[in-house]
Amino acid sequence: MAELANLIEATSTYFCLDCGVCTGSCPVARVFPQFSPRQIIERSLYGIEDFSDESIWDCLTCAQCSVRCPVNIDFPEFVRLFRDEAHGRGYSGVPTHNGMLQSIWAIQTMDIQQNRTFWVQEGKVAEKGDIFYFVGCRPYFDVIFRDIDAGSIKGAQNVLKILNACGIEPVVSNDERCCGHDALWNGDEETFKRLASINLEIIKASGAKKVVFSCPEGYLIFKRFYPKYFGDLGFEPVHILDFLAEQLKEGALEFKEYEGVVTYHDPCRLGRMAGIYDPPRELIMAIPGIEFREMTRARENGVCCGTSGWINCSGYSKEIQVERLSEAAATGAGALITACPKCQIHFRCAKAASDLEVDIIDLYDLFSANLNISQ
Amino acid sequence: MFKVAQELIGILGIDQRRLRLEWVSSSEGARFAEVVTGFTEQIKELGPCGLKQAA
Repeated sequence: MAELANLIEATSTYFCLDCGVCTGSCPVARVFPQFSPRQIIERSLYGIEDFSDESIWDCLTCAQCSVRCPVNIDFPEFVRLFRDEAHGRGYSGVPTHNGMLQSIWAIQTMDIQQNRTFWVQEGKVAEKGDIFYFVGCRPYFDVIFRDIDAGSIKGAQNVLKILNACGIEPVVSNDERCCGHDALWNGDEETFKRLASINLEIIKASGAKKVVFSCPEGYLIFKRFYPKYFGDLGFEPVHILDFLAEQLKEGALEFKEYEGVVTYHDPCRLGRMAGIYDPPRELIMAIPGIEFREMTRARENGVCCGTSGWINCSGYSKEIQVERLSEAAATGAGALITACPKCQIHFRCAKAASDLEVDIIDLYDLFSANLNISQ
Repeated sequence: MFKVAQELIGILGIDQRRLRLEWVSSSEGARFAEVVTGFTEQIKELGPCGLKQAA
């Protein structure tokens, strides 16, 4: 198949040494041995892999395999391109939540008048300005995941509070769309491009020179994939953790006392894919009185939150999540800090179905609650 | 689930009156007709949904 050969070429998969480090590292393979990145690659190289293969949708695209691959095969990118081809032939993963999320982002490609800024309340925002806060899907998540108390919108309110405390009144747009991250990883490039072009237009109209993200997926997609499809963006995507770490160094950020032991979960998009490991740790440790403990699998080895792209969530996902929560609890930490709204949702969902006693706290809720706003 | 869907379409900017959930038993033929007619009339009154592809 020419298409298969193309994607082997595009991701240099032919360098595969058949060592199996990918499958040995894969969190899915650990709980579901039939899933094997190595075999997917091998079958592709022999030209016997088929686009109807369902296992391609089980990949979490968490990049645990690719950071360890001795020949640097970007397996998540291979999976993305494979899915794109499969999607074009009518195949797809199994949507979670009855496809609700897929419908929401499809509707956002339309000409709609959203009501997504209801949460701003006492926060200070601007219509136009140099800095744009790209909120992401939190307003929708807040409604969908209310039953597991995901607190998605509280996170956005706290990010805004932190930005305001740093003297920034960012643009928050009612016309913002889904960043397209999940559409892209669902193999739906067409929808991704539509969402992205609307977002780019809106940001351009705001006059922003910097776009701040608190969501790792939004940041990654703007940083790495928007330029790939649209060239120079005309603004700089900035992750708020990089920005806050800078503020901390300059002494512009001060925290109040926090009593307790915490641990931190690296989101795959923020850590392995964007290389942001130190800023969250520096900021957490800047909180006086806090005791920070690493989990065994941290940083490059931080295990995935169990499911991604709102597809193929299963008992295997739950197993990965519960194991991760147990790992957090085993450090003796009273709270697991997450920096991604989706990790937050996935862990809260898993916690609701287990008897583990570890709190799951959004990083921005922690910062906001302990911020010293005297300066 | 219905309340969630209604809230979501509200954020998406779709009139919440376009979504309705009613329970009608199989023995309530007249009520079924009433509900469907009423909803159809309401949708006609609201006019086209206006969802079109963004330029």
